[in-house]
Amino acid sequence: MAPFDLVHPRSTDEALAELRTASPEGVAVLAGGTDLLLDIDRARIAPRRVVSLRYLPWKFLEWSGDSLTIGSTLPLRALEVEPRIRQRIPGLWEAVRAVGSVALRHRATLGGNLVRSAPTSDLSPILLALDAEVEVVGPHGSRWTPVDAFLSDSRRPRLAFGELVRAVRIPEARPSAYHWQRVRPVNDISQVGVAVARSPSEGYYRIAVGDVLPRPVRILPAEEALRSRPPTDDEVRSAAELAGKLSPFATDRRGTEEYRRHIVAVLARRALLAIRTAAPRGPAP
Amino acid sequence: MTTAPSFTVNATSVDLSPIPESERLLDTLRWRLGLKGTKEGCRTGNCGACTVLVDRASVLSCLTLAHEVAGSEVTTIEGLAAEDVGARIMQSFADEGASQCGYCTPGFVMALASLLHERGAAGDLAGFEEDLQGNLCRCTGYVSIRRAAQRAREAVR
Repeated sequence: MAPFDLVHPRSTDEALAELRTASPEGVAVLAGGTDLLLDIDRARIAPRRVVSLRYLPWKFLEWSGDSLTIGSTLPLRALEVEPRIRQRIPGLWEAVRAVGSVALRHRATLGGNLVRSAPTSDLSPILLALDAEVEVVGPHGSRWTPVDAFLSDSRRPRLAFGELVRAVRIPEARPSAYHWQRVRPVNDISQVGVAVARSPSEGYYRIAVGDVLPRPVRILPAEEALRSRPPTDDEVRSAAELAGKLSPFATDRRGTEEYRRHIVAVLARRALLAIRTAAPRGPAP
Repeated sequence: MTTAPSFTVNATSVDLSPIPESERLLDTLRWRLGLKGTKEGCRTGNCGACTVLVDRASVLSCLTLAHEVAGSEVTTIEGLAAEDVGARIMQSFADEGASQCGYCTPGFVMALASLLHERGAAGDLAGFEEDLQGNLCRCTGYVSIRRAAQRAREAVR
């Protein structure tokens, strides 16, 4: 691995100051490192300075009624072993379990996953379905932006140089599901991933599809096909078919467009049926 | 830059001369500390052969910088062997013939130790086995490893 200097800021201000004094190509931000270090090792990037977020107080998990705020550097495994997430936001639990292995999730973080913005992220689709928001901190303070606006078509998030992601907020616990298809079940990249969620307060559905290039997207016409409360079998079938038909698709070594469209429709139907009559589980903590 | 990180390995503080800040924990353990029980498999976080414990939780030492575990307790297969849980897991692997070429075995043992530490023997077996899927074995076909994991779980209960 090409050598670099590793710095450990102790506060948000110190971390932002580290970024201000560096050039964009010369610096990289380290959260869990499970993706970044691979890129450095393969010489895809060659930062001279790596800013570790290890000592920032961002490893938190805060419930406020039905809303959950997740610190960006909290290891993913902490989300998995928190029983209220499995009970109340099952789609998030399923998506977290889909990332790498336990040992990887002991270090990998939600913030790192979002900022690295891999088109194949298993977490972005469920964050879209949950209407999650991202807190960005920078020289001008803090701002909240919807995940949908944070992700971009360029495979990079809408994060200016010198900004960091501090937290992700899920505004309400929702019946939700994340279904994926892979060649191998673990430590493989999904061929497609489908996230669905239903707002218990408003009744509307969200359907998001990932592992399509260049970013996960919501399929609005499929969401709109679910008119009845709860949706009928016919509505679920046509929403799933629309999701397969309307997703943008890539053909690559993991699958053809035809295969992906078929699997999206199958997974969307299964996921919708899984949450159609599910009651929000568990009391607000 | 090269600086000397400060952490403990197998309950002993390591006394390292300065090492590059870009060095992986895997390389520090194997080549500077001579702890060759931790294996290098894929070096990309896919096979689990390099699994060690950092503060009792399994991590992939190929994707962890040595300087990122400063202040932590690192446990390798050599240190785990001296602990009751480690001895029971290893005995279970021996009893079930769960090790053939043996290259993946330390990683499996560390992953299992982390799970047993994290949730004891509680939890459903299906989830437990799923949690071991991050370790690859090309010899056994996994059946004997699943039996060994179950046996170790019962032995630790």
